[in-house]
Amino acid sequence: MWALLVLIGAASVSAHLQELSFDGQKVFRVLPQNDEQVEILNFLASIMEVDFWQPDSVTLVRPKMQVDFRVEADKSFEVEDLLKESGMEYQVLIDNLQAAMDAQFDSKARTASHSYEKYNNWDTIAAWTADIAARNPDLVSRSVIGETYEGRPMYLLKMGKSGPNKKAIFMDCGFHAREWISPAFCQWFVKEAVETYGKDSVMTKLLDKLDFYVLPVVNIDGYVYTWTNDRMWRKTRSKNAGSICIGTDPNRNMDAGWCTLGASKSPCAPTYCGSAPESEKETKALADFIREHLSTIKGYLTIHSYSQLLLFPYSYTYDLPANYEELNSIAKAASKELASLHNTKYTYGPGANTIYPAAGGSDDWVYDQGIKYAFTFELRDTGRHGFLLPESQIKPTCEETLLAVKYIANYVLEHLY
Amino acid sequence: DIDDVGHKYYLELELEDVLDKDRPVTCTAEVLYPLGSKASAADVQVTVQGELRSTEEADKEFYDRIRSLEKELVAENIPDSHGKVPPELEPIHLLAWAASGYVIWQNSTENTHFHLAQVQHVKQVKRSDEDLQFDFVLLLHEMVSQEVLPWELSVLWQPGRGARVCRCQGPGAGS
Repeated sequence: MWALLVLIGAASVSAHLQELSFDGQKVFRVLPQNDEQVEILNFLASIMEVDFWQPDSVTLVRPKMQVDFRVEADKSFEVEDLLKESGMEYQVLIDNLQAAMDAQFDSKARTASHSYEKYNNWDTIAAWTADIAARNPDLVSRSVIGETYEGRPMYLLKMGKSGPNKKAIFMDCGFHAREWISPAFCQWFVKEAVETYGKDSVMTKLLDKLDFYVLPVVNIDGYVYTWTNDRMWRKTRSKNAGSICIGTDPNRNMDAGWCTLGASKSPCAPTYCGSAPESEKETKALADFIREHLSTIKGYLTIHSYSQLLLFPYSYTYDLPANYEELNSIAKAASKELASLHNTKYTYGPGANTIYPAAGGSDDWVYDQGIKYAFTFELRDTGRHGFLLPESQIKPTCEETLLAVKYIANYVLEHLY
Repeated sequence: DIDDVGHKYYLELELEDVLDKDRPVTCTAEVLYPLGSKASAADVQVTVQGELRSTEEADKEFYDRIRSLEKELVAENIPDSHGKVPPELEPIHLLAWAASGYVIWQNSTENTHFHLAQVQHVKQVKRSDEDLQFDFVLLLHEMVSQEVLPWELSVLWQPGRGARVCRCQGPGAGS
């Protein structure tokens, strides 16, 4: 008798031990509409192990109740088939429970905690991208578009309610390492999107009808370097053949009038254009992604600092783009929106005339690919703090910039091509 | 354009005191950028119309505080990476700002655009006379080339007298 109990005990212990990894396990959210559909859930719970997260048990399930439950990895396909067949409304809340848990532990254990009103280091931002996607699966998904020179994954967040044939807007931050307010803005944008979806009518419309690709930091290696070694670093961290000097200016490295004006052929210069267009892994990854999604991307925004400018093509020539009048009036209106919040004055215009001629920029390259709404933002301030913008200004800067970005996104939505 | 001499600009400016924003002061200036590759500072004539506020009390407070320090003041990275300046270093920051004006003036052309990026280092040097002396290493950011370069200079100051630059070293000269 005792031997039998011990055996059963041992068996259940080993069964539990197998459960310690949650790899591949899925969490479903379903909305049973009627008694029939409730019965399906009862049936499911009778033929396999179903861990109900809400409500606590299958016996509490009622029609019109939101039900969340976890199933084992090898059962998840069966479950999904069953739900599809039944016609019950469902979504996969967590696609891989182990991954979601790892992300959560990452952001607490290894790194400083994330704040939208502070400058976050790369590890914190990386963990945040996993976390924000795991917590908002119906609005955010994360992918990797490439690797930096030093081998770091380039995370991209795709934002928007899933739907067929959606067009998209691409926004990147952190081209230049020392411009810390830039990645802060991309994080802020993502936060606003997930927090105000369903509450703010403009944001809801934008996310319903468009997708936003947000690349929170392009030049990750450079950004890390500004945290560990040199706060004033600008370029990438790639080695240059035949020189002791490191790095290429990623915003002189794109294939747009490459290295003709406003860029340097010297590897030691902060505006070094690189050994060839897209010589940098980071710019190549960005360009590849945009080329692959050219038919869906209809607007492009790239965020820099400082100077309080809203620029559009061209910077590699003084020639004006074909839709100059249109771009100018968008910039004028977006600047007005921005100023409406804290009276922050922006100057706008084509790059070459407004800031300086500079070839190899991402906005020009994207524009020449056919994305006719391409803008570069230079955020606060105008030189008093420059790159060292105090953290107390993160919130007001991001809030005002968001108004301009929403204006531009909405314009693109209403003028799809 | 002035033949064989250079380019002269006539400016009307509004001066805003960052610590007293509601009372802008109008100025006029004539700036002559000399021709030629020889590095030479622009000639500047300024007229201030109106009054700058008195900082007598704050000046005295700062002066007395520094004079009474047991050890010479030494500090780095003002503002820090996150843009913060400790309150007791704010006057040093402002003095550095004024000093940077001298370096910027000496090194500006019609094709440069300088800003003080950061005070990399400041060291007080004890003096036997009434002046306070601060040796600075200032990081200046030049917008067109995107260079951030360190400039060394020493500044003398006492209440009632403007800041004076007493020595100036830095990488290269001109643009």
